[in-house]
Amino acid sequence: MTVAAGIGYALLALGPSLSLFVSVISRKPFLILTLLSSTLVWLVSLIILSGLWRPFLPLKANVWWPYALLVLSSVCFQEALRFLFWKLYMLSTLIHFALLLSSDCYAVLDLKKRLEDVLDSFADRISRPRLFLTDKLQIALAGGLGHGVAHAVFFCLSLLTPAFGPATFYVNRCSKVPFFLVSAIIALAFVTIHTFSMVIAFEGYAKGNKVDQVIVPVIHLSAGMLTLVNFASEGCVIGVPLLYLVASLTLLHCGKMVWQRLIESQNQSGSTLR
Amino acid sequence: MESSSILDSLGVEIIGVMAPVSICMFLVVLLTYSLSVTSDPQIRTAANLIYIENPSDSATVKLEGSLENAIVFVVLVAAVTFVLVLLFYYNFTNFLKHYMRFSAFFVLGTMGGAIFLSIIQHFSIPVDSITCFVLLFNFTVLGTLSVFSEGMPIVVRQCYMVVMGIVVAAWFTKLPEWTTWFILVALALYDLVAVLAPGGPLKLLVELASTRDQELPAMVYEARPTVSRSGGGGSSLRVLVGGGGGGVSDSGSVELQAVGDGAATHNLDYNAVAVMDVDSVDGVGRSREGHSASPVSSEHSRELGSVGNRESVAEEEMSPLVELMGWGDNREEPRGLAEESDNIDRGIKLGLGDFIFYSVLVGRAAMYDLMTVYACYLAIISGLGCTLILLSVYNKALPALPISIMLGVVFYFLTRLLMEPFVVGMTTNLMMF
Repeated sequence: MTVAAGIGYALLALGPSLSLFVSVISRKPFLILTLLSSTLVWLVSLIILSGLWRPFLPLKANVWWPYALLVLSSVCFQEALRFLFWKLYMLSTLIHFALLLSSDCYAVLDLKKRLEDVLDSFADRISRPRLFLTDKLQIALAGGLGHGVAHAVFFCLSLLTPAFGPATFYVNRCSKVPFFLVSAIIALAFVTIHTFSMVIAFEGYAKGNKVDQVIVPVIHLSAGMLTLVNFASEGCVIGVPLLYLVASLTLLHCGKMVWQRLIESQNQSGSTLR
Repeated sequence: MESSSILDSLGVEIIGVMAPVSICMFLVVLLTYSLSVTSDPQIRTAANLIYIENPSDSATVKLEGSLENAIVFVVLVAAVTFVLVLLFYYNFTNFLKHYMRFSAFFVLGTMGGAIFLSIIQHFSIPVDSITCFVLLFNFTVLGTLSVFSEGMPIVVRQCYMVVMGIVVAAWFTKLPEWTTWFILVALALYDLVAVLAPGGPLKLLVELASTRDQELPAMVYEARPTVSRSGGGGSSLRVLVGGGGGGVSDSGSVELQAVGDGAATHNLDYNAVAVMDVDSVDGVGRSREGHSASPVSSEHSRELGSVGNRESVAEEEMSPLVELMGWGDNREEPRGLAEESDNIDRGIKLGLGDFIFYSVLVGRAAMYDLMTVYACYLAIISGLGCTLILLSVYNKALPALPISIMLGVVFYFLTRLLMEPFVVGMTTNLMMF
């Protein structure tokens, strides 16, 4: 409606991520790089999906099942990509470190080394403490935040440009609140979901914990399907609170998992934690 | 807790370069949005020599015309780069330095001033002309002084580099659409050729500079690292990579007379210097090297004068990006030999042309939609990262402009054609994933 409203909507969707960025991620340049690369992966996945679905667009506005198919396929694709991201991420950082350490041949040749091993050996070389548990969690957090920010930008912010003008816009299906407000609220929920499910996923892949590995696609899929509820007339009244339920569940599960890990590692090392 | 982990120090140099590039792009986008710069078809510039784009022309006409424009532009830039090589070969270094100071003054004063005035007009800021003139004059003079002097705080120099990049990029976004895209792609290809091919002007410059062990007068953004390096046995190997610029030429008058009253022709040269520094970090009794890449870009810009009364200046800027990596091997050197002069040479230096052309691409994307802006921004940043990685693999001068520009163009068109119907169709139905 005005510049103030536009900025307000943008901050609604991205405020917590901005504070996370400033307080945690901007301190360490490596995390910024992780965030940028995960945003890029999400963008590429979105482009591929839109390329696949382009012949079928625009979809008819009254039928709901093409949208369900759309969401299903997109979520499956993105979850597969998340696993790939984990693998690729390890490989690319491996290459990067191999290059940095390339005066030392041993690191280069052993391509099976895991990310943490490489980082740890690099840390040993430059006489710094090894990678802490919180560092690994922070890398996962940065990756998740990248996904979340990409979602918020492409699904919410890019459509906000008219909000800076003199008028506002309402959608028929959700006529109580302006469209911009609803999309900002939904984007906030999704940012939370993406950020913390990435932490859960990375820990699950690292530890081989099946529960964690499975729960992430389930959360993502349920969140995507819940937005289908918005398809019904005035469905957003039900859909959005349910979405926030899923988001808070993600948050709780992630918090519980991180807490357990920290307690474990404290018991193991027997010293004070960072 | 104060114990630092390895995560603190990784990637500092990369971020030190990506941050100012991001700031420059962001401000150009802001400027584009707020001023609603539309390409003015009346300006005849060096980029528009053959064909002036008309929105009502058919696609084939536009295609051919833009292609011709782009080719002419690249040819001009290549010619001026060769002139620069010649000048450098005959040791006209001081002349080049003074010329570049003059260019900085001109860019900041006239082009920056024009943007400044349009901002005042657009936002109805109440300021009188004398104050405005004094402020602008001070700003310009400070910028000119900061270009080559040793005594300026590095922050001032960095800010002015970014400001100059913004000003020139904002002017470039006034070009018509098809011409802009073709010019960007043509410049990326030219950069590739100029740096890697045996007869390329930039390659010649690099070799000249390194054989003479001289420093090129150049406009570069220096990113000084903030993390202090441990280990005193560092030595820095200075490898100079030069970029092409141009000398004063009055061949511009040929084009001008066809257009209107004679106007001044100025050539702005921005040459960039890449200084590699080798960072030696001491391990346990033996020194190791890290290295920081110094992408160098040189740019050359040329201004053609106005049509009639209007001071419409357009420039062409060329920025071939050249990167070079140097190694210093310092294993036997004892720790005590810390060289103080190393501190000046540390950090990555990025030429001004890169700022400008990345920002032009993003600015042009901004004229369509915010989605394309973000996609192009990510593409450019990842291209920059890729180039830095390639640099560490190949260990010699590499152009960095091609990868980013190509990725940016590809992502722009993919986003515009594929992604937008998809995303907009879903979000307006409040369906997201």
